[in-house]
Amino acid sequence: MQDITLTEDEKDVLQELMNVAYGNATAVVAEMLDAFATLSIPKIKVLKTQELIKEFHSLEGKSFFFSTQAFVGDFSGESAFFIDEASAKNLSSHLELESEEDLDDAILELTNVLTSTLTTRLAQEMNTEVRFALPSISKLPLNEIENSQTFQNYSQVIVIDTQLNFEHQKINGEIFILTKDGSIEWLKNRLNTILEALM
Amino acid sequence: MKYLVVDDSKLARLGLIKSLKTHLPDVEVYQATNGEEAVELNKTHKPTIAFLDLTMPVMDGYEALPMMIWDNPDLKVIVVSADIQEQAKAKVIDLGAKLHIQKPINPNKMKDILETLECKI
Repeated sequence: MQDITLTEDEKDVLQELMNVAYGNATAVVAEMLDAFATLSIPKIKVLKTQELIKEFHSLEGKSFFFSTQAFVGDFSGESAFFIDEASAKNLSSHLELESEEDLDDAILELTNVLTSTLTTRLAQEMNTEVRFALPSISKLPLNEIENSQTFQNYSQVIVIDTQLNFEHQKINGEIFILTKDGSIEWLKNRLNTILEALM
Repeated sequence: MKYLVVDDSKLARLGLIKSLKTHLPDVEVYQATNGEEAVELNKTHKPTIAFLDLTMPVMDGYEALPMMIWDNPDLKVIVVSADIQEQAKAKVIDLGAKLHIQKPINPNKMKDILETLECKI
């Protein structure tokens, strides 16, 4: 398969669209948790799946709650949300949850709100629509992450990596949007159309 | 009237300048890609209005905003950000911004901003 790369201008456009989308999603989640979050600059990379797994290995912490939500349309893929155990415990305490089941439910709802708001807004900015599957959750030790079915579905991915940081509550999460191979060319064309309209 | 546009994204700067020039085609516009550059350009050129992003590398908008107003007290700063949390809005107004506007800027939003600032369109 031919390797696909993004030019600096294409990365800039995608990063800015993501920034707008992420701002919206963060505001919704902040309201849901009644907390204030800081925003990070989205990092955009095109990676082979094995390279992405190496990136995951560099994450701090030993095990993560890992939830994913697939989306389909012209722009198809999957969003993945990582939250480490310590942050999950802090989330549980902040929301005064009583059981592990309640915590799973809270993480799923957080993922659902965060990733669907994020992806919907990103799609709007690119003048297209996406449909969502239900999110699913698993708790994985980091060294088992490559066995996750999610990563078997992709050979090359555009990774949009941003951090969600509720400083006072000590809740940190990391969001990845993984696009399917066939969507990358569509995405490149759309990014260039947006850029050309401003020139 | 001089304008300063501060954003690390070229797309955001181009979009904002295009919207501005829809209403004011002949204005002088300076561009900065982070807060540190903005502080320097503000000292040198003393713009009347600055459009300032918050999330940027090197120096973010929260840090640059009070420095820019200190150096150029007549400067009107419009924060243009994707961060639409109520606390973010309150914080920038507290730091001296005139307005907090959600990204992206389009010609209609720009018209409202310029009218609010009583700029002659």
